[in-house]
Parts: sequence; C-alpha cells; structure tokens
Amino acid sequence: MKKYLSILSMQIINNIAYPGDFLGRSISIATFIFIFAGLWGTTFMIANTDVINGLTFPNMVWYFMMAETLELGRPRINRTISEQVKNGEVAYILNKPYNFLLYHFSAGLGDGAVRMTLNLIVGSIVAWILAGAPPPLLGWLMAFVTLIGAWILHFCFMALIGLAAFVVEETNSFELIYQKLVFILGGFLFPIDMFPTWLQNISYALPFPYMMYAPARLFVKPDVDLFWRMLGGQVFWVAVFVFLLAFVYQRSEKYLTVNGG
Amino acid sequence: MSSIEVNNLQKTFQTKRKAAGMRGSLRALFKPEYTSIEAVRGLSFHMEAGELLGFIGPNGAGKSTTIKILTGILHPSSGDAKVLGFVPWKERQKLAYHIGTVFGQRPQLWYHLPAIDTFMLFGKIYELDDRETKKRIAFLSEAFEIQDLLETPVRKLSLGQRMRCEVAASLLHRPKLLLLDEPSIGLDVVAKQHIRDAIKRMAQEENVGVLLTSHDAGDLEALCRRVIIVNHGQIVYEDKVSNLKRKFLTRKMVEVRYAEEVSPNFSIDGVEILKVGSYGVKLRFDTTKTPVDQVMSHLSQAGELVDITVSDPPLEEVIAKIYQDAQPGMRT
Repeated sequence: MKKYLSILSMQIINNIAYPGDFLGRSISIATFIFIFAGLWGTTFMIANTDVINGLTFPNMVWYFMMAETLELGRPRINRTISEQVKNGEVAYILNKPYNFLLYHFSAGLGDGAVRMTLNLIVGSIVAWILAGAPPPLLGWLMAFVTLIGAWILHFCFMALIGLAAFVVEETNSFELIYQKLVFILGGFLFPIDMFPTWLQNISYALPFPYMMYAPARLFVKPDVDLFWRMLGGQVFWVAVFVFLLAFVYQRSEKYLTVNGG
Repeated sequence: MSSIEVNNLQKTFQTKRKAAGMRGSLRALFKPEYTSIEAVRGLSFHMEAGELLGFIGPNGAGKSTTIKILTGILHPSSGDAKVLGFVPWKERQKLAYHIGTVFGQRPQLWYHLPAIDTFMLFGKIYELDDRETKKRIAFLSEAFEIQDLLETPVRKLSLGQRMRCEVAASLLHRPKLLLLDEPSIGLDVVAKQHIRDAIKRMAQEENVGVLLTSHDAGDLEALCRRVIIVNHGQIVYEDKVSNLKRKFLTRKMVEVRYAEEVSPNFSIDGVEILKVGSYGVKLRFDTTKTPVDQVMSHLSQAGELVDITVSDPPLEEVIAKIYQDAQPGMRT
C-alpha cells in the first residue's frame, strides 16, 4: 500500500513542478463556466421562468461547475498508457514490483487530486460571482462521497481503453466515443432531469450517469433517496468494471508489443 | 549456478503491411495484410550467477526483444526461460525484486523532478526502509559520481549524467542481475567510460551478474568476459571475449595527420590504403599478418605526426565477417 501512496504523492509533486502551467489550467474552467452561465441565463430569460425541471439558474451554474471540475480534472489514463506503449516506456512500468493497473490508478489519482482541487477552487469562485452562494454542506458531502465511485468508474473506462493500446496502440477514437457518451448520457451537458422520461430510463440503465450526474446533481440538490440510489448504482458498476478490467488486463498482457529497440 | 537459462526461445510479431499512397491505405483498411517477423528464432543459452555477458548484434537482431522477454515484459511465442529461478512472463513481479534494468533509449527517472525523488520512490517500490534507501543512495552516488546531480531536475542533466543516474537507480535494491539494454547509446567517449567503470565496480563489489546488449564493441571489451552475438534472432557466435578479439578484432584502422605536407610511400605489404592526402593517410591492416610496430615506424618516418587515431572495425563489420564464416548456432 505504501508504494502506491508514494506513487500518488510523486505524481502530485510532479504536477506542481511547474506552477505557471498549474495555474494556467484554471483559466479554462473559468472560461467554460462563464460561457455556460451565459447560455443558461439566456435560456431562463427566454423561458421566462425561475425553475426548469426542478433546477434553478444557480443550480445549473453550480451543477456545471462540479461537472466541469470532474471533466477537466480527470486524467486521461488511456493516453498515458497509449503513449507509453508507443514510445516503449511501458517496459519500465511493467518491470517494477507493483501492479500495473494500481500504478496507473495511484498516478492518476495524484494527477486528478491536484487538477480537481484547483478546478474546484477556481470554479467555485467564478460560480459564486455569477450565480450566488454555493450549495449547502450536505451537498458538498454527498458530492464528495459519490465522487469516489465516479472517479473509480472513470478510471476503469480509461484503463480499458488504454489497454486496447496493447493491441492497437492508438486509442484516441475510443476515448472520443466514451467522452461523448458521458457528455450526453452521463449528464455533463444537460442534467438528466432535463431529458424526456424514456431517455432518462436509458441513461440510468447505463454506467454513465454514475460517473458525472451523480456527484453534480447531489451537490446542487442533496437528496437522501437519490444519494442511496446513485451510490448503489456506483457499487454495482464498479464491481462489474473492476472485474472486467482485471480480466481484460490478464488477457491483453500477452498481446503487448513494445516499440523501439 | 545459472542465473539465466534459455531454451529454444521464439518470438514472432505480426506487423501490418501497407502499400504507399492513398490506395494502399484504403486497401490496408478494408483488407489488412500482416507479415510475421521472427524477432527471436530458437535462442538457447545460459548465464552463470555473477557473470558479465555481452549480448551483441546489429539493429533488429533480436537483442532487446530477448531482454524484454527475460524481464517478463513480453511473452515469448514458444520456448522456455528461467531468470534467477523465475519464469519471467509468469512471475514478473517476484522477479522484479531481484533484477535491475536499464533500457538506454528510455528514461525511468521522472523527467521533471530531481533524480533523488525517483530514488526515494524506488526505495518505497522495492520496499526498502528510508534509512536503508538513504544509505544506498549515498553509496551509489559515490560509485557513480552523481552526488552533485541528485538534486537537479533530470531534464537539466546531460545524457551522460542522466545515464549514470539511470544505472545507479537500477541498482538501488541490490539486484542479483542487471539487464542493460544499450546503456551507452548516444554517449560520448568520456561518458561511456564513466558508465563502464561504475558498472564494472558494482559487478565486482556486489557480485551482480550483468547481461549487456550493445552494438558498441567498446562496451563488450571493457565489461564482458563472454559474448553472444546474435543476428536475425539467432546466435551466430558464442565465446570468450578474449577469443573473439584474438580471432576477429585483429583488423585495425589507423588515421594519421602530419605537421607538413608529405609525399610518403605507403605501399606496405598487407596494408590497405583507404584514403590518402597531402597531410595524412587512412589505412587498414591485419595485426596478425602485419606487425603494428612496422606500420607505425613507416608512418612516423614519413614526417612529423601531429595526430593519430587507431580504431577497431565497426562491430557490424565483425558480425558480417562472423556471419560469413559461421553457421547459426556455431559455438566455440
């Protein structure tokens, strides 16, 4: 366990080695929240209402802040694995006495922790200015708990896509498909509350809402029933994907080709 | 006791083929064609504990693939291998505690951080306690002369400095076997010498076995007692380095430059003139047929020498010669 914590802290140190870049990243989240706040502001104004499908304008802005914090903060582990396979660095990752997937999980968590913290700080300041006071403490608590499951699920997907690099090397196209599924069915662009019922049902039957909608929605409107439902869904999907990931990893190892001399 | 046992090891890769241009790309998309490349073809060899073994051959000979199979990164297509008693591709993590690896063309040190951070991380990964790690770092820093480099970000180090840190990092956990894949690639003469001296010292002091791949004959001469030459995935020669030198590294190339214009007569029996000019000459000869002192005295009599370079033929040339003379699997 100690070794994985060390990998995590090494990744944090690595991320803050360049403070300029570290701070520069925060500009993008500020810009996105500003644009989305403008779009939702106009929508509420044209609809001439304060509430759309149970969510107010401040709810929307804070929802988007949390969703964007997640989206921009989550490391693209598939790209790291793919790059390591292409440039041959994977040789060093594989020949150390640790589990390959747990190595990437720890490094990704270290990377994600730094990015998400920064996004959360900058995003909260911008959201506060544009939409007023943040959600209640219970919202922060529920978001934090469901964030763990959301992160593990995201890791499983990214790692599964990354492992495809052992066979096909380039995985950007798979990532793009995954990202769009999370954007739409995961509730990134619109909270699932905005969908027609039939699309909501499809969405809930898939793993994507548990990776994005769960923490963002519980953050802005904490709801005990929804919290347990989301947590249950996360436990189920995490179990499925951890099993799948372990299985695929075992199989894909044999197909690895390390480039270069 | 053997540290490496390899029996009839084979590794075949499937590589996609694509003809040039758009037509070729479209064809490859809808009807992909694959070629089988036999990177390793029936390799069998052994290495004793604490031995310094050179595993050399030209680019694409199968050296790196073999090393990657022996570290457990790649699965062989067929054949058996045991490294320190472990089957590498089945017991990779257990084996990792006992071996150190350096892939000369790939960094293992974290690029943006000082090497000391990676050293400390490796200490944790190999489950050493902090005090032991620090003691080991102090020892390796002295052996590899990297005391002043440890706190500099790796990206700011020269290639030679970085490689010294890389090799030192691979020895942190006191491995019984060091697998070095082209550790001197791209280094200048001084940096190469530094690395070789340090590896030699570690091998002697800690009885670490070293399997070294290289296409630099200098690495081989400086470090190894025995050599295996591979080409096209097969062993073409296996013998002591001293025998290899005696048999094949007998041809020397000499290039001299004179202080003044000379018009020497360089026609010496058994000496091949490669290039001749008013101020110098480059020639090649076989030391077993033409004595070195005869050539040198002839050259020095022609005028005042200001520069002289003596070099071995490129290893590729030696291998080509061995390959010409020997059938695969020839062992002495």
